[in-house]
Amino acid sequence: MLNRRDAVSRIAMLVGGVFSAPTLFAMEAKKAGIVAEAGTFTLTDSQRKIVAAVAEHIIPKTSTAGAIEAGVPPFIEMMLNDCYKKPEHVSFKKGVDNLAKAKFLDQSHDAQVAMLTLLEADTKELMKSYATSKVKVGDNVDKDVLEGAGGVPFWRVMKELTLLGYYTSEKGIEGSFEYHPVPGKFEVISNMKPDQKSFVY
Amino acid sequence: MNLNIDAIKSQTFDAIVIGSGISGGWAAKELTEKGLKVAVMERGREIKHIEGYETAMKNPWEFDHRGRPTNMAAEEYWAGMRTGYTPAEEHRYLFENDKQNPYIEKKGGFDWIRAYHTGGKSLLWGRQTYRWNREDFLANEKEGIGTPWPIGYDDLAPWYSYVEKFAGISGQAEGLDVLPDSDFLPAMQMTAPEVHFKNAVDKKLGRPVTVGRVAHLTKPGKQHTDLGRSSCNYRNKCMRGCPYGAYFSSLSATLPAAQRTNRLTMIHNAIVAEIIYDEKSQKAKGVRVIDQNTLEHKEYYAKIIFVNAGAIGSTSIMMNSKSNRYQNGLGNDSDQLGRNIMDHHLGVGASATVEGFEKDYMFGNRPNGLYIPRYRNWGKDKRGYTRGFGYQGGASREGWGRGVGQDGFGAQFKESLTHPGQWTVGFGGFGEILPDPNNRFTLSDQKDKWGLPILSFEANFGENEMKMRQDMMNDAAEMLEAAGFKNINAYNGQNTHIGLGIHEMGTARMGTSVKNSIVNKHNQVHEVKNVFMTDGAAMASASCVNPSLTYMAMTARAADFAVRELKKGNL
Repeated sequence: MLNRRDAVSRIAMLVGGVFSAPTLFAMEAKKAGIVAEAGTFTLTDSQRKIVAAVAEHIIPKTSTAGAIEAGVPPFIEMMLNDCYKKPEHVSFKKGVDNLAKAKFLDQSHDAQVAMLTLLEADTKELMKSYATSKVKVGDNVDKDVLEGAGGVPFWRVMKELTLLGYYTSEKGIEGSFEYHPVPGKFEVISNMKPDQKSFVY
Repeated sequence: MNLNIDAIKSQTFDAIVIGSGISGGWAAKELTEKGLKVAVMERGREIKHIEGYETAMKNPWEFDHRGRPTNMAAEEYWAGMRTGYTPAEEHRYLFENDKQNPYIEKKGGFDWIRAYHTGGKSLLWGRQTYRWNREDFLANEKEGIGTPWPIGYDDLAPWYSYVEKFAGISGQAEGLDVLPDSDFLPAMQMTAPEVHFKNAVDKKLGRPVTVGRVAHLTKPGKQHTDLGRSSCNYRNKCMRGCPYGAYFSSLSATLPAAQRTNRLTMIHNAIVAEIIYDEKSQKAKGVRVIDQNTLEHKEYYAKIIFVNAGAIGSTSIMMNSKSNRYQNGLGNDSDQLGRNIMDHHLGVGASATVEGFEKDYMFGNRPNGLYIPRYRNWGKDKRGYTRGFGYQGGASREGWGRGVGQDGFGAQFKESLTHPGQWTVGFGGFGEILPDPNNRFTLSDQKDKWGLPILSFEANFGENEMKMRQDMMNDAAEMLEAAGFKNINAYNGQNTHIGLGIHEMGTARMGTSVKNSIVNKHNQVHEVKNVFMTDGAAMASASCVNPSLTYMAMTARAADFAVRELKKGNL
């Protein structure tokens, strides 16, 4: 039988968009009695350029709008201020500053993609240790876990907020899905066409 | 009191109903339809059907934080945050701010989720609707747990049928003793993986699976359309309030029915501080209310009083109604007021991924799932605990959210997330909690901003619940496995509290005598015969099915009794 750790991390994956890892971690932290300070969050203009470039890499403009056109970069900054707390503020800025140090914006498109690919792989490794230590089963479960732990890593927050900001924006929804705010019926479909877009309501 | 006669007249009704939620709405409807002039006291603000549902028709991008609670909301709605959904941006306006409405948690936690406005939690409920079975009413007596129910299934059955026809319940008749059928409107469809699951679980484990029974109009009748209600549009944005009146709520159904009699007076912002007891007649003569905004105190008078403020709210009003005769709370000779808090325990089950079914999909957002009725400790099955549990869940295809946990970014990644992902499936248990007199709340010495006592809770799961949870987790995994689903993940959340199910029950229980309970078999306070309690407070046990339908049936039955007694001159 799988233990609770697997269950919780799996849930985070399964329902990704709805009940994502940062929210989950925040809840775990609260249970452990560690309540993070909210604080405020703003970016400098040069940091904003990096965030916009990374968002556009995640969701580039194709035949449909990209992240920038859908208003994702200012959305990310606003969400970090309003919905995330100090640990994520710190880890997010650290991530942006690391890209600044690596002169991310001066690189070629392909080199930027390579850097982000690496960042994603590193983050994945890092997240493994997060999930393991944070929700392990046992007495005082969550306590030792969070000590010294930083916020959710930059790339993870960046990716999540880019997808959330884009796929719930007007341009993102209209460019990506079949939007039916009032479907009017419920019908099962047994011969879905291979290029069927998701229905969004 | 030096009120003049006209003022007293304008504050006098045949009946007062405290609360406009799911049971209060029914009391208002039944009492007005039987000819009584009724005043409903609603402690919260007025919300008008349709125009009051301020977020109902908003597009996803019109929510600043795309649904997420802000840090400020998370802090202010601290109890709501434990549910993971009530403080979401789209429907937060219908829930109470916990910081402004504090309560005390002693030893263990208690999740008290409140909704103070017209219709109360009837606007926000899960709409899952199940009859209790025969055994549910017998178990307490057979097992010597709590107090025996003085009523049985047959007492409630005609009233179940009566309220179902009016409310409109969609579901599939199955002929099961464990989950008696309702009077159904057409059932909603199951998806292909759900049909596969149902067949596999039935064949391999002998457990029936049915589509959820839900208070949505799938085929409205005249009794529904006459009230302006129409068919479900499958948006699944119910908790924002339904502009189509497609699901049953006080606003869509019972209050409009009461209003058309011209005998209903709605009084909003009216917090009932206490029920006024008349020592001479040994009856209640009215209520004292506090205007939540002006803090003005006012009295209203009536021949009968229905207390429908939600289990905790109703009970706290009774506790706060002190007199010479009842120094410990109205009708509280048994000292049972506030005890035996029950709910359904949840946060335990299993999820999995489904291989195949690539060509299967669905159009519309079904506000419903599947239901697996109780099978434990039923028939020949005997476990190391008593009572049982049911499951709710279902299958769906992943949306763009799957991208958060997936590798990749860029044009191809972007395009891939515009198509439906793989099927996933999950089931969570709803377990029966036993009545325990030590699970209780009391009035503390601290006062809220209206000068009323702040409530203090002390409630914890017992051994029976903890044992049951093992089965709830393991059985869910077993059923997903029987269906051949992959990546099965079973979970048993340890940080849940009583109250998380938002099915509070039991704090003014029904029983066989004034010595063991607060109300008799007619939901009538044993020795204060013109006071009736017909919400979750009156429950002597919890069953494992969602409770609202039983409150509806009990309320209609009690209202019928009350009016007959009134006409006989007994009240």
